[in-house]
Amino acid sequence: MNWISRIIGGRGDSEALDPGVAEILAHWQSLPDADLGRAHFETRYVVLNTEATGLDLDSDRLLAVGALAIDAGLISPGDSYYATLEDAPSLALSRLLAFARKDPVVVFNSAFNLGMLEPVLDQRLGVSLDVQPIDLYFLLPALFPERRGSPARLADWMDSFAIETFQRHHALGDGWAIAQLFLAAQSRALAQGAGSPRALQELERAYRQYRRKA
Amino acid sequence: MSTTAAQQLLVGASTDFLRHFSPFDRMEPTALGYLAQHAVLGFHPRGSEILTPEMGPARHFYIIQRGKVQARQTGAAVVTEYASLTMGPGECFPIGAISAQRPSTNAYVAVDDSFCFQITADEFLHLMQISPVFHLFCTQYIASLLNQSRQQMQTTFAQRAAEQQTMTTPLGQLLKREPVSVSPDTRTRAALEKMNELHIGCMVVTDAEQRPLGILTQSDLLPRVVLAGFDLERPIGEVMTANPHQLPVTASAYDAALEMATHGVRHLLVVDSRSRLKGVISERDLFSLQRISLRQIRAGIENATDVDALQHASRDIRQLALNLIAQGIGAEQLTQFISALNDALTRRIIELALDRHDLLGVDFGWFAFGSEGRHEQTLSTDQDNGIIWRCPELQDVDAVRKRLVAFGREVNQNLAACGFPLCKGNIMASNPDLCLTLDEWKERFGDWIREPDPQALLNASIFFDFRVLYGNERLGDQLRAWLNKLSRTSTNFLRMMAANALQVPPPLGRIRDFVVEDDGTIDLKKCGARLFVDAARIIALRTGVDSSSTVQRLRQASGKMGVSADEVSAIIDGFHFIQLLRLRSQHLETEHDAAGDNRIDPDTLNELDRRILKEAFRQARKLQLRLKLDYQL
Repeated sequence: MNWISRIIGGRGDSEALDPGVAEILAHWQSLPDADLGRAHFETRYVVLNTEATGLDLDSDRLLAVGALAIDAGLISPGDSYYATLEDAPSLALSRLLAFARKDPVVVFNSAFNLGMLEPVLDQRLGVSLDVQPIDLYFLLPALFPERRGSPARLADWMDSFAIETFQRHHALGDGWAIAQLFLAAQSRALAQGAGSPRALQELERAYRQYRRKA
Repeated sequence: MSTTAAQQLLVGASTDFLRHFSPFDRMEPTALGYLAQHAVLGFHPRGSEILTPEMGPARHFYIIQRGKVQARQTGAAVVTEYASLTMGPGECFPIGAISAQRPSTNAYVAVDDSFCFQITADEFLHLMQISPVFHLFCTQYIASLLNQSRQQMQTTFAQRAAEQQTMTTPLGQLLKREPVSVSPDTRTRAALEKMNELHIGCMVVTDAEQRPLGILTQSDLLPRVVLAGFDLERPIGEVMTANPHQLPVTASAYDAALEMATHGVRHLLVVDSRSRLKGVISERDLFSLQRISLRQIRAGIENATDVDALQHASRDIRQLALNLIAQGIGAEQLTQFISALNDALTRRIIELALDRHDLLGVDFGWFAFGSEGRHEQTLSTDQDNGIIWRCPELQDVDAVRKRLVAFGREVNQNLAACGFPLCKGNIMASNPDLCLTLDEWKERFGDWIREPDPQALLNASIFFDFRVLYGNERLGDQLRAWLNKLSRTSTNFLRMMAANALQVPPPLGRIRDFVVEDDGTIDLKKCGARLFVDAARIIALRTGVDSSSTVQRLRQASGKMGVSADEVSAIIDGFHFIQLLRLRSQHLETEHDAAGDNRIDPDTLNELDRRILKEAFRQARKLQLRLKLDYQL
């Protein structure tokens, strides 16, 4: 799909009319927002991760999406999602939303991941996640200053915690590593008194502001 | 479709990981697949407890993915040959505890930031069934443990023999109070008045250097003073027994007993190396030392063949508690002693009753509720009990219940005979309403949670602290697991419980230290202990802690609630201090539920105790504040 068909096609895309997709989407839209004040052990977090042809938001294309749930502080392989956007992108995306529900979203580098995902969601399904993600890119250095004093690449954090994964640069493979990093982050945050998704968002925001001033 | 794709990738990754370690490398592919599919990954920060004996029957089986976990021996009885053992990736725990569905004997603590896979106990048992390799691995492990524990038994016996030599205790450790003495020229009347005032059995006469010159005992009074018509205005030096028997502080209790037996005296003076008086040892002190030891009371209970013998034991328990309070033992240990002995006593009463009632084939558990259920009995606790049971197949529910109720009635009456008064509210096993099957209990509890009216909330505060004291503990475990699952999702119920718990604030004043009632006292149960107990119960229900004890509830929930270890310790210390004050004030009361029970006049406390009490109430306030925030009340 090029920019012309984007403009012309818009939401009138034939695929978006698929009744199956519409139904999933309607259900997702009807879900109430997550209660961000609940404790970690009562919350289901969703790690979202993308895989693209490259790192350029303007020229590169989204290839696949991966997601893992962290429910009550545990990662369960049964509660995960992976899909490529090759065959039926609208269906794949709507199912991603159905998987994520309206639960708090965790990403590593939201500028890139959501920068990739949001336009495609808008174009294919006419929706937006519209969430304030918990971005580990900022949250990790805020919580573990003794390990890394400033934002670092995913590979560096994996090294630091000796975390491994089955496949790097794969939406779910990296997602698995990010989910493990999030478990460590959640535990450290709790020890510091940040016991809810909202508290994590606030920690991350405060760190960003501090970076900007420094 | 896509969820399956993701699962395949992740399960494949877990399988690859597990294949690196024994016994998973030899495991059948379907079994390994089952394990990888059900294993969920959790994180345990350095220093956190993953599993401890206090958490109750092991609910999960853990396989370390990354990091280090240390297994530490806890408690007095050592089961394995190692005191601590560090485990790394691929190693798993607990094998014995989860196979037998009992609490772990070890404490497992993350010594590094650690990731562990975990499966539930049911999944573990299923895995044993489908995998001969895994089954063999676990059985061999348990067999090696049994072998080790047999060797350990011998060591324990040796230790027990050493413990029985309480008569070797040095006299210095047996002295309970500062010595009281007078000079030889003291008027006899003044000396006798002092004896009377201090409730002491003898008066020691010393010189200016505190060296003993003589002694006057109560038994001397009749022949030497009263019958002899001795003039009470004359000095005590003229009527005392000169050159009293003395022993150094380093002499043993046994030496003292020998000395008393040899010379036919009831009191001995204990002196330090410079012959100065340190105290008096009476025959009674030695007698109580010989007679009342924890182990002997236990043996007395276990060998009792009738209720009469148990009544003796029950008096001994009370006496022991008083001695222990006098020795300044902490509230935690003291309540544990009382609770352990009362449990043993109750169990024996149940066993004796079982001989007379035909309950063969009926699967049941004897429930303790309230403070007994929480292991927090004080000296004046009335009965709160019930029965949980499962109806044998092909038998009539009501007929079985009738038999159980009759059995319960006998136990209730015998407990009453042994000093546990019958419950005024009829919370007793002989009440058919509290002799329920597992399903009936679930229905009862479920009703309260769904419709939390004031009576339901009150009931929850008594019955949710249940514990199986005798019989099939699994019935209790099943009810607990079910209750925790239901209540953690019942936010409205928990909120009402919290609102209820907040009705009584800690008695801290703005201007004065304490807010007291009209008679100048504070009710330490209603305005003290209960604040901790109620808050801990709600926190436990919300976080799914299995334990029924307040301290364990707070300790185990703290990890999930993000409360630091120091903070929890401070709260627990506060609770213990209030419990100690309650026990101290109770031991002066002879009757159960007397008006003075649990009441304390803060003005009678010394400055230090007042300050600690104030701090304890502050901790209660902190706990309440937490509830207020959590439930926006």
